[in-house]
Amino acid sequence: MALETPIVEMRGISKRFGELQALADVDLTVHRGDIHALVGENGAGKTTLMNILYGLYRADAGTTRIRGNEARIAGPRDAIHLGIGMIHQHFMLVPPLTVAENVVLGDERGGPLLDRRGIEARVSELEARFGIRADPSAKIEDVPFGVQQRVEILKVLYRGSEILIFDEPTAVLTPQEVDDLFQIVRTLRGEGKTVILITHKLREVMAVSDHVTVLREGRNAAQLVTTRTTPAQIAVAMVGRELREIAARSGTPGDVVLEVSGLTAPSDRGGPALKGIDLGVRAGEIVGLAGVGGNGQSELAQCILGLRDASAGVIRVGGVDVAHDDPHRTRRRGVAYVPEDRRVEGLVLPFSVAENFILGKQDRAPYARRGILRADAIRREGARLATEFDVRPADPDIEVGSLSGGNQQKVVLGRELSESPKLIVANQPTRGLDIAATEYVHERLLDQRSRGCAILLISSELDEIRDLSDRIAVMFEGRILAVLPASEATEDRLGLLMAGHVEAVGERSGTSPA
Amino acid sequence: MRQPSFEWTRGPAIPVVSVLFALVLGGLFVWISGHDPITAYAALLRGAFGSPYDISETLLIAVPLLLTGLSVAVAFRAGLFNIGAQGQLLVGAVAAGWVGAQWPDLPAIVLLPLTLLAGILGGAVYGGIAGWLKAARGVNEVITTIMQNYTIVFVMHWLLQNGPMQAPNAFGTPASAPIGAGAVLPVIVPDFLVPSSRLHAGVLLALLATVAFWFLLWRTSLGYELRAVGLGMRAAAQAGIDPRKRMVIVMAIAGGFAGLAGMIQVSGLFHRVYDGFSAGFGFDAIAVALLGKNAPLGVVLSALLFAAFSRGGTLMQSDAGISSHLVEIVEALVLFVIAAETVVRAVARRWGTPVKAVS
Amino acid sequence: MDVLIGAGVLAATIRLATPVALAALGGVVTERSGVVNIALEGCMLVGAFFGVFAADRTGSLPAAIAAAVVAGILLAAVHALAAITFRADQIVSGMALNILALGLTSYLDYQLYSTTGTPSTIPLVPNVHLGFLENAPVLGGAIGDQSAIVWATLAIVVLLQLFLFRTVPGLRLRSVGEHPRAADTLGIDVRRTRYWAVLASGALAALGGVYLSLSVAGSFSDNMTNGRGFIGLAAMIFGRWTPVGALGAALVFGYGDALSVSLQGVKVAGVEFPVQLLSTIPYLLTVLAVAGFVGRSRMPAADGQPYESEGH
Repeated sequence: MALETPIVEMRGISKRFGELQALADVDLTVHRGDIHALVGENGAGKTTLMNILYGLYRADAGTTRIRGNEARIAGPRDAIHLGIGMIHQHFMLVPPLTVAENVVLGDERGGPLLDRRGIEARVSELEARFGIRADPSAKIEDVPFGVQQRVEILKVLYRGSEILIFDEPTAVLTPQEVDDLFQIVRTLRGEGKTVILITHKLREVMAVSDHVTVLREGRNAAQLVTTRTTPAQIAVAMVGRELREIAARSGTPGDVVLEVSGLTAPSDRGGPALKGIDLGVRAGEIVGLAGVGGNGQSELAQCILGLRDASAGVIRVGGVDVAHDDPHRTRRRGVAYVPEDRRVEGLVLPFSVAENFILGKQDRAPYARRGILRADAIRREGARLATEFDVRPADPDIEVGSLSGGNQQKVVLGRELSESPKLIVANQPTRGLDIAATEYVHERLLDQRSRGCAILLISSELDEIRDLSDRIAVMFEGRILAVLPASEATEDRLGLLMAGHVEAVGERSGTSPA
Repeated sequence: MRQPSFEWTRGPAIPVVSVLFALVLGGLFVWISGHDPITAYAALLRGAFGSPYDISETLLIAVPLLLTGLSVAVAFRAGLFNIGAQGQLLVGAVAAGWVGAQWPDLPAIVLLPLTLLAGILGGAVYGGIAGWLKAARGVNEVITTIMQNYTIVFVMHWLLQNGPMQAPNAFGTPASAPIGAGAVLPVIVPDFLVPSSRLHAGVLLALLATVAFWFLLWRTSLGYELRAVGLGMRAAAQAGIDPRKRMVIVMAIAGGFAGLAGMIQVSGLFHRVYDGFSAGFGFDAIAVALLGKNAPLGVVLSALLFAAFSRGGTLMQSDAGISSHLVEIVEALVLFVIAAETVVRAVARRWGTPVKAVS
Repeated sequence: MDVLIGAGVLAATIRLATPVALAALGGVVTERSGVVNIALEGCMLVGAFFGVFAADRTGSLPAAIAAAVVAGILLAAVHALAAITFRADQIVSGMALNILALGLTSYLDYQLYSTTGTPSTIPLVPNVHLGFLENAPVLGGAIGDQSAIVWATLAIVVLLQLFLFRTVPGLRLRSVGEHPRAADTLGIDVRRTRYWAVLASGALAALGGVYLSLSVAGSFSDNMTNGRGFIGLAAMIFGRWTPVGALGAALVFGYGDALSVSLQGVKVAGVEFPVQLLSTIPYLLTVLAVAGFVGRSRMPAADGQPYESEGH
């Protein structure tokens, strides 16, 4: 096999978006008739790499060879011509059109008149050949996600694709649909097609793939043969590993501040994001929420804050149920929130530093009295907080959008931590920050713990979780698989749990909430 | 439909350039159609500012333009596109006209505030409906407000032609009964200064409204919330500022400004409501707000500019024989250059230049 | 009874519905491709004016119609350039063009015809006399003597319905308005499709303007479209963005207008019927439909959203 020319060979691929280096010198080799898993966390560069292969982006550097020949893929047309087809994560389907119409769109064949019967017959024929079931005359908006995905597969097969790229194909599928999909993927392999599977779900990697390429932060992290690796090995490659001493803990946790039980909630795309979460965080304790990104962590944070409606379950903060409160009321109970995306959710970028410090407090003393803003108090507090939280430059009037990422995050912290919250929900608080800013954020969170604050820390950085947390909860596919004391959370164990292996939990640690 | 997202650089460079550009193009148009642009613009200028009387007439037109301009601007600040200032103005006028005529014998100290309140409330309710439909049912405010503009026109036809507001002895244009003397805004320019000036106290109300606009947006908690929703809806939402509630509130405020314009037209100028009343101000208001960058002083200046166009255009037609509709062409060109500014910004953003916006 | 369903009322319904239907058809085409064009009002107005202008200058009806349609297309082309190429705000661009059309036509009307008014000798669009219906009691009066444009409109409705839902280019046009990225990934040229759609909307609206000036009025007067382009948008929405639906909505709206004339002065239970309120029906129904209170009115998913292909 190694002697055969690879059907896809990408070498030294780099791509930059503005300041973000999305891909740096990435290689990918895929053999004909293979199911090749491309894995990595959200933002690792998987989709970007495949968008380059499909011609949606152009690489800044690097070469792509298809069947041994160097290929210039300037757009999807070129890709289709080379026999490359993409099954997008967000389905590229037109909801009011039928299954058959979606399959043939852009390549309808026959005259200018729409020959519905002919089209449907052609699609049925294709379905029979690859063992795919979908009613050709049904409208896309009326069929479930699993069927929509089959339509996406039919689209690329209709165009004669030999190489099929699946971008996170199981994200919206039910377990039954996932099984059906894998059956189809194996049939495709049997028909001599090559499949590239973008995913971050290790169970899937183990279940169907032949080879695995792992990306981390836009770089190659590992190239593995599936039969000769373990899920834990892949998980550690995905999140990165660095052995270090676990810092000694100080202080003893107090009363339970956050208590979540039986929490379920839908995702943005309809399926369940949370499937019965039980979790507790005590005063003076940091609970780290580990897991490969996209397993429901952000949805949990949004539910606690009141930004997302829970479908069932209880969320108590200081003993009061806040499950049905809006963010305004939740925050009044002493909940602070460091959102995942500070530029969109954390800050109003065109506002000044001082104005951002009062976001959510704009109607309260000392910033306002009887609905009238007190400009002097806002400026004074702004200057004080800017200094206290080391915002550089410490100018309360400067526009937040013009600050660096680290200083923007300091503004968020200054706003969220300055009023002695009871509970802090911090979602990826150091993402994209440099080392100094990261340390600063860590120190501030530890200060809050010493003060007696309860902290739920969501992070995809295993090091961060292990350095800061007293206990570590691992999330997988909308569930909390285990809550381990930090001392027992070895890397191997966390890696297995993050891959969905519950057996990794020892006898002593259960899934007890608090 | 997409939400408008207008961000503006500080400073008056772009508005000034766009007006000059539009004037040059308009002049070119005049020249092509066989007239002298200099003569045309000179007549326009004379018509707008040639005598104290002309100036007072120009100011009269500026008042409803300013108020409807504030109406559009306040909605823009919260990220909404209010095309309904015209309809809100008319509802305000009807409400004010009805109250003013219903109790004509009340003293001014009672009737004038009552009329004022009626005008503002009428517009606020009409605008608030559009905000509520957006918040509760997701109806695009552009569609609602366009439809509302036409609805009130026909409701007025009915009210004035054979409905409850029809004046007993009206002939010619259908009209309501005149409002009571207590509801009239007095003329504030003495005869010896400007003979037979019609400039009324509404000018002062409009300036007061401009101060209120500034105070609301930059000096109150509510104004802060509206701007936060307009500039960063998700950040505002997670901080506990519910964008949907603010949508209803800001559309009601926008309607209130426009309703005040309607009330002033009734109490200050016409002293009754008639069919075809004050047409077109609400559409010019969009240009006024955009050219004025949704800022208080900017809106005042652009309202004056468009008022001067309007007043001067009439004289240009009678003096220089050039259709007053030239000013509409110029106005359209101004709007176009402003729309093009978003293009310039889009390009600038793509090239990585940081975009600053007024908060 | 005659004031409700008499031949006169029905004929008036058709007369009032035709320009609205043409504007609505323009709206259907452009919004199905994903571009909001509120400049339809302006396209109608320039169509109305340049139809009369060209009829006056050339004395030829075909030339007049051609000139009107070209004027509508040119105005729409400016909108297409702003909305599609420059991704400017489609509402602002549309507003600007409406004001421009109003200013331009009124300006030219004043400069050219202020003293005399538009000439009365220009060729007009002929009516189609259906002799065999002469003695049919209601039908004969209603459709026996309508303008050729009325019949052309009917034909356009049928053709457009077939085009959108029974042809390959129609399928592609709809896919561009619903999911431009999907269409783009399949090699369909989103921008070109949208350009064609916007230009077509200008042509259709301009034909509506021609109907007003060269068929109903026989002359041009300032702002003679008087908001019909906007009622057309309402008819498009209420007709659920389909040609047949738009025609149906235009007829409903036209019937309301016709009644507001025929019911004038009629007393119901001793009170004069509020005929003017009938004219508010189009607007109220449209808002209720969009809000989901009356039926289900779903706009094309990408309507009004500028499309930018993925950066390379």
